[in-house]
Amino acid sequence: MKQLLQERTYSLTLTILLVGIGAAVAFPQTFPTFGNWSQLLLNLSIDTIVAVGMMLLLVSGVFDLSVGSVVAFAGGIAAYAMIQLGWSVGLAVGLALLVSAAIGAVNGYLIAYQGVNPMIQTLAMMGIVRGGALVISGSGIQNLPYWFTAISQSRLLGVQMPVWYMLLTVSVFAFLMHKTVFFRRYYYIGGNEKAADLSGIRVRRMKLYGFVLTSLLAGVAGLLLTSRLGTALPTAGRGLELRVITAVILGGASLSGGHGKIVGALLGAVFMGLVSNIMVLARVSGYWQEIILGLILITAVWTDMALQKRLRQSLHRA
Amino acid sequence: MKKHLALLVILLTSCELPPRDGTANVGQKVGVQAAASGTEEEYVMITTAVTMPMYVNHDQATFKRWGKERNVKVSILGPAEWDVPAQINTIEEVIGTRPSGLLINGTDPAIGPVIDKAVAAGIPTVVYDSDIPNSRRDAFLGTDWYEIGRMQGEEMVRLLGGKGKIAYMGILGLTNMETGFRGLLDVLKKYPGIEVVGKFDDKANVEEAARITADLLAAHPDLAGLCGFDSNSGPGIALAVKEARKAGKVKITTVDWEPEHLQLVREGVIQMLAGQKRELFTWYGAQFLYDRVHQTNRLSANDVQVGVTNIPTSVNTGLLRITKKNVDEFINR
Repeated sequence: MKQLLQERTYSLTLTILLVGIGAAVAFPQTFPTFGNWSQLLLNLSIDTIVAVGMMLLLVSGVFDLSVGSVVAFAGGIAAYAMIQLGWSVGLAVGLALLVSAAIGAVNGYLIAYQGVNPMIQTLAMMGIVRGGALVISGSGIQNLPYWFTAISQSRLLGVQMPVWYMLLTVSVFAFLMHKTVFFRRYYYIGGNEKAADLSGIRVRRMKLYGFVLTSLLAGVAGLLLTSRLGTALPTAGRGLELRVITAVILGGASLSGGHGKIVGALLGAVFMGLVSNIMVLARVSGYWQEIILGLILITAVWTDMALQKRLRQSLHRA
Repeated sequence: MKKHLALLVILLTSCELPPRDGTANVGQKVGVQAAASGTEEEYVMITTAVTMPMYVNHDQATFKRWGKERNVKVSILGPAEWDVPAQINTIEEVIGTRPSGLLINGTDPAIGPVIDKAVAAGIPTVVYDSDIPNSRRDAFLGTDWYEIGRMQGEEMVRLLGGKGKIAYMGILGLTNMETGFRGLLDVLKKYPGIEVVGKFDDKANVEEAARITADLLAAHPDLAGLCGFDSNSGPGIALAVKEARKAGKVKITTVDWEPEHLQLVREGVIQMLAGQKRELFTWYGAQFLYDRVHQTNRLSANDVQVGVTNIPTSVNTGLLRITKKNVDEFINR
């Protein structure tokens, strides 16, 4: 049990359960309902898909601040191709994904091969891509084709599709990170980049792939959001990068790299979504929501760290 | 293999596509009484950028005052930043709690489907500030943003005598502001002596507006006028114009009438404010919801069944034109 609790994913699961039970007792009519939970999961699905990519990057010791802008840009490009250029849904989606991957490739190349600082590079890219989204989408592109909106507005077993896409993404990447040698290299890179390099891992190439994959996932998230809203919003994804990094850190990643599980990204996002949902149900004023969310996050991480420290000490003594 | 095939068939048959007429998630419209009955009467305002001073001082203060006067519960929800998807998420979550009425800031046409969902759930829904014409909202109260742009354009033409260089700024990409920009340009294009040097994104940030203005004044020493479209444009523009010692020489028109804006008009730095009557948005918006819930002015034996609403469909609250001549009346209100 002690060993289980040492693992962030388990301690966070326990926290989520406790908070969930508390909310069910406090709001028995509105919280533990199918409608509320399917809505809660839908609301965090976009962030979680991006968080999967961010977890991959943070495991290898880097991060990407341009993901929020890519979310807006990908949706804008697809909408522009469909409405202004008359392209089919498939082609437009393909173009948006290609452009998203290209943005990641530029980030990855400049960071991994040219040694540009990841924060500076992705911060600059964030501005460039947001500007691109504004140029393409103007005040927003509406009236998107039916089959494009059906991607996110359809339901399976009564739950809107982005929730299923999120679960699929998490499952696939959790499997890849756990079972394949290729993805496990990110842990070695994050743990000790020099040692990984000396052991024959092509660190720079792996970093490049990491940025491409993260940007691609942000592109997927952007397409899903645009499909859900039925509108390409140039302002979509503002502040998403910080929410996602917070969720990933909460889920067990470390800014110094080497740690974290894909499931942790999901749990971190679920915890944040849960807290936001409870605050809406409790009618906590918007002024207080940010403060409370910040305090809860600090408390959760601090409690978790303190718990793990004590457990490590007791295990060491035993 | 057979098991997998069976599972696939079950999944495919459980898949439900959205309706083709764009009314996704929308069921039959139900009576508004359902929303009001049983639990405590509560009206919820949902906006983005919930902490923006203009919203806090005008919209929210009035909404709270209205709640006190009517002795009903009022709640204000929404993200702290300008985040339309987060506003949509909040509306979705609030619908499940079935409040008596929803007062929604019409931030973007993208919120249309979720408004329809609230209406379909039997929750009276009023939109304020900017209309969401693609939705089934019960009523709208607000300003015509095209008119805000037009008013600024006409004032600028008057101040400059129909010639000179001007620039304008606001939050690019927002539907209401882009509409305002269009109103401004439609006026200016009638005057060949006016040259528009650019459209800029100040990101609703005073420092950014000041930086853009300072750069513009350096690049165009003969810049004659600046128009602002968000709450922070005016103070930012005014700051840079004052620092360049060009107050009064470079003409400024902008939106909103916070104490800071009014003071700048009194000082002669800003020449005109195109002010919205935001207090009216939320006071009468909330009152419309109350009247809808309580069927204050019933128009038939059963308004819901007949398909009529007993409140105005659309209300243009008009604009305030604040200049040095009348600014004291607003400062001393």
